[in-house]
Amino acid sequence: MIEEPRIGVFVCHCGLNIAGVIDIEALTEYARTLPNVVYAVHNRYTCSDPGQEEIRKGIDEQRLNRVVVAACSPRMHEFTFRRCVSEAGLNPYLFEMANVRELCSWCHPSNPEKATEKAKEIVKMAVAKARLLQSLTPIEVPVTNKALVLGGGIAGMNAALDLAEMGFKVYLVEKKESIGGHMAQLDKTFPTLDCSICIEGPKMVDVSRHPNIEIISFSDILSVEGYVGNFKVKVRKNPRYIVGDNCTGCGECKDVCPIEYPNEWDMNMGVRKTISVPFDQAVPLIYRIDMDYCIECYKCVDACGARQAIDLSQEPEEIELEVGTIIVTTGYDIYIPPEGNLYGYGKYSNVITSLEFERLILAAGPTAGHVIRASDGKRPRTVGLIQCVGSRDVSSYEYCSGFCCMYTLKHTIQLKEHYGDDVEVYVFYMDMRSNFKGYEEFYRRALEMGVNFIRGRVSEIIEDSETKNLIIRAEDTLLGEPIEVEAELAVLATAAVSSTGAGDVAKVLNITRGTDGFFMESHPKLKPIDTPVDGIFIAGACQGPKDIPYSVSQGAGAAARAATILSKTSWQIEPIVSVIDPDRCRNVRAKCGICAQKCPYGAIRVEAGKPAQVIAATCHGCGTCVAECPSDAITQMHFTDAQIFAQIDAALEKSPEDKILGFLCNWCSYAGADLAGTSRFEYPPTLRAIRVMCSGRVDRDFVLEAFRRGAGMVLVGACHLPYDCHYISGNWRMKERMEALAKVLEKLGISPERFRVEYVSAAEGVIFAELMREMSGKMEELGRQRMMAENEKVKPYLDRMMARKRPKQRVIVQTRK
Amino acid sequence: MPMKIVKTETEDELAVYRIMHARHYSLLLDKNRCIGCEICQTVCPREAIEIKKPTKIEGQELTSPSITIDENKCQFCGICNTICPFGALTLKINDERTVPVLRTESFPQIIHEIEVDATRCPKDCNDCEEVCPFDLIKVSVDRNSGKVNVEIDKDHCPCCRLCEAECPYDAIHTRKIIFGSITVNNEKCPDGCRDCVDVCPIPGTLYTSTEGKVHANEFPCIYCGVCRIVCPVEGALEIQRTSVHHTPVHSGAWNKALEKLASTEGMAKELRSKLIVKAQESVRRRLGKEVR
Repeated sequence: MIEEPRIGVFVCHCGLNIAGVIDIEALTEYARTLPNVVYAVHNRYTCSDPGQEEIRKGIDEQRLNRVVVAACSPRMHEFTFRRCVSEAGLNPYLFEMANVRELCSWCHPSNPEKATEKAKEIVKMAVAKARLLQSLTPIEVPVTNKALVLGGGIAGMNAALDLAEMGFKVYLVEKKESIGGHMAQLDKTFPTLDCSICIEGPKMVDVSRHPNIEIISFSDILSVEGYVGNFKVKVRKNPRYIVGDNCTGCGECKDVCPIEYPNEWDMNMGVRKTISVPFDQAVPLIYRIDMDYCIECYKCVDACGARQAIDLSQEPEEIELEVGTIIVTTGYDIYIPPEGNLYGYGKYSNVITSLEFERLILAAGPTAGHVIRASDGKRPRTVGLIQCVGSRDVSSYEYCSGFCCMYTLKHTIQLKEHYGDDVEVYVFYMDMRSNFKGYEEFYRRALEMGVNFIRGRVSEIIEDSETKNLIIRAEDTLLGEPIEVEAELAVLATAAVSSTGAGDVAKVLNITRGTDGFFMESHPKLKPIDTPVDGIFIAGACQGPKDIPYSVSQGAGAAARAATILSKTSWQIEPIVSVIDPDRCRNVRAKCGICAQKCPYGAIRVEAGKPAQVIAATCHGCGTCVAECPSDAITQMHFTDAQIFAQIDAALEKSPEDKILGFLCNWCSYAGADLAGTSRFEYPPTLRAIRVMCSGRVDRDFVLEAFRRGAGMVLVGACHLPYDCHYISGNWRMKERMEALAKVLEKLGISPERFRVEYVSAAEGVIFAELMREMSGKMEELGRQRMMAENEKVKPYLDRMMARKRPKQRVIVQTRK
Repeated sequence: MPMKIVKTETEDELAVYRIMHARHYSLLLDKNRCIGCEICQTVCPREAIEIKKPTKIEGQELTSPSITIDENKCQFCGICNTICPFGALTLKINDERTVPVLRTESFPQIIHEIEVDATRCPKDCNDCEEVCPFDLIKVSVDRNSGKVNVEIDKDHCPCCRLCEAECPYDAIHTRKIIFGSITVNNEKCPDGCRDCVDVCPIPGTLYTSTEGKVHANEFPCIYCGVCRIVCPVEGALEIQRTSVHHTPVHSGAWNKALEKLASTEGMAKELRSKLIVKAQESVRRRLGKEVR
């Protein structure tokens, strides 16, 4: 029995954010005239308690069975209002949002009239979709109460310890031989100057001793399948050629091993034996033989004797872990200035990086704590420390690496403490950033110890070929004059950069990276630990450079976030999945399987002679299969063809040739459009946006229908190629599809500039606004007359093409209702 | 300072370096001593050594092959340094001569066994000094005591035994470093070719007979294999090494090297003899007497 929709529209002022531009009264009045709208009101803040109460009251008193809120972006408050309507007894999926703030009032402040017109149409589109909304039940999936922490640095260790303390089993997978991360390489920590390994070492031991933590070190992550609560992770344990259970860590084997090789842990400044651990405090304390260097003299086998810990026939082992959540804490790498750099790193032997300095001044380091020059092994009397090498440099890394100022201060204080007045220390800095607890005081301490601070970027370093001293040239911007310092050692504070494996991790986990290479958080302010993939969290420097306390807090935060899932026995997944109509599936009659082929997640099972089947829990709801299905047998719940066609119709009912109809993917382009609004970038009010989860959902028919309806321009907005797509490859499928379609449209007589595929990321608000300006300008240039003429010409063809489709679409919706 | 791996080459020396901030390694090849044989290349565990065959110029004597070291493969273990019969390679760590594999007894030292009984030497004989192809022997007479002194640079001596053969007074006794056999298959040997004779470092080991065929003399042959490298016909020159005179060692690396240098049988033979020695020793320990 189909229930007649009774729609309530709630228009939000958002203070003056919306009401300051848009005529709220007129908008509400207009909403009342829309079909099936039985109730329309406006209030100051719909998201506030009284605002939500009004919705609940409306549902109750007006017997509303659909709710539309005209306010901000659905990316902001859709969840809030869904919860609100469900509290009033309405299915949460019978709610629709009209984005009149980010996509309207904020980006058209100087054109209130047009903005009000646009807002009306946005509401109209929302109402059109709302009429066709269906009740949906979230899919419940069981939760495996185990977690995977990827990366055993200080952030990962804290996340693992916290989760383990809460009672969850944790697998801590580490690529290197030992956990500990960069922190274990450091000598002292700022601003307290306590010894790094002395405070981290016990924590590493805690991790290894905890009954709930299993450390899987020297291992690589191969693949991740599944979804929140039910991830299946394949891990390869690389062979150490040592039987872990038998190795006591005594080190007798190391003493008899003849071969030394450069120790990466020591920044290749020191050596380690072919059978060894990278550093004495390594956890787990299991030795490893590097087969690249082993000459197989078996002296170690003799030394190990009855313990029999050495097994030279070991092979890589693949294991599969089942976990409910994944915390990524893969950390960062240190930037190594490339050949030909201005600082002469790699060319002059007395230019070193800060991490190399760290190893030099560390008592357990390759020089037993003596800072010496590589050229002559002598102690330098003047040391120049150079800040922002690679960081804050548009030609290398634009961002500030955050902690370099502080560790450079630490190095100056250490030098002064070790050598007193016997060493002259110069720091070349751009800005001294010491903005956390105790940091500014630390800076003062360095100043008081007599460290010379010179404000200015170093332009070049040249070497005195005789003394091997370094002449550091810079401009002292405080004095406004050039300065030259002759130093015996130069230390470069090089940038922190995304780790080399970050790309592979992103691909395996399907999480995104920013332009700087670091992992992207779900929301820069409110979801700094979440990723766009449910159940996967990020913490520490893999998201951006962070110091130790910040990383520790984020590790704890990620553990808490993960626990919100792990503590439940089941988890609800949004039911916006694909559903196949078995009666229409072509695979019953012929060999098809296109949907299974195009599905980025392998969530569709196809067997000959049977209709294709969607594995609902594995379906991520991109809708690519829906757009690809040649017989329109697939529907994406909450983004059905009928709903989208209704939005198209509503958007293009009045003077369509003045409008750009945009299909924007939720994660990138729509977010980019939101950001353009949030940033108040103004652009002409020509866009009518339809939000889809993924650009892969954009059916050819949508574009054809838009032109049949006389649209001025059509835009498909997607995530950047190649890897940004939130659904792995939806944007690629869309690209293939739209490239073919563009040719057809051009042949039919539509100017190619009227159909656009653009890639805009969530961070590119300015680019989105620019795109809108450019497209609107182009539209004006082409002129209404010409576009109308083109549309007139192609209409008969499109009518015929769509006639085949449209009635069927209607039918499918009717039966579904 | 980032680690640097460097290779330099001059007319007299080939050198590879691994320079680290506080430690540096170098492997130096004395090109004047190297004859381009295959011994070091055969035993190098990293296959870092390559032999470059000489190009033949018509009408001229063939020059010796040369070796080159891949600086990116070399791990400065010192095996080549130890095994080279000519002592042409030197490994240094922080400018000090060190051989890591010897320090841990992961590789044996080859024994240059040369014994001289100078009391037998008359004052006016220096035949050995003259015959030594490498100028390693110095004969002198102490002015005061009138004693004859024979100095031999053992480290660079491949033990060809020419001096022993030459000595009319039976004053020198040497033992080969490498034992084996050399055969020239004359039916395969191309007419007029004397490449092997040209490169052989020991005069008289290979010689051409009157009918122009090459013949080998077992006595001075050191089985270095340089002749086989330049031989244009496969199978014309056969060298079989059976064992190496070395200090006792218990090492897989040596077994492997021996297998490559000699043959699997050769290695097995040495292992067997080691077992016998071990068994004899344990019996002696327990019974307090020799058992054969």
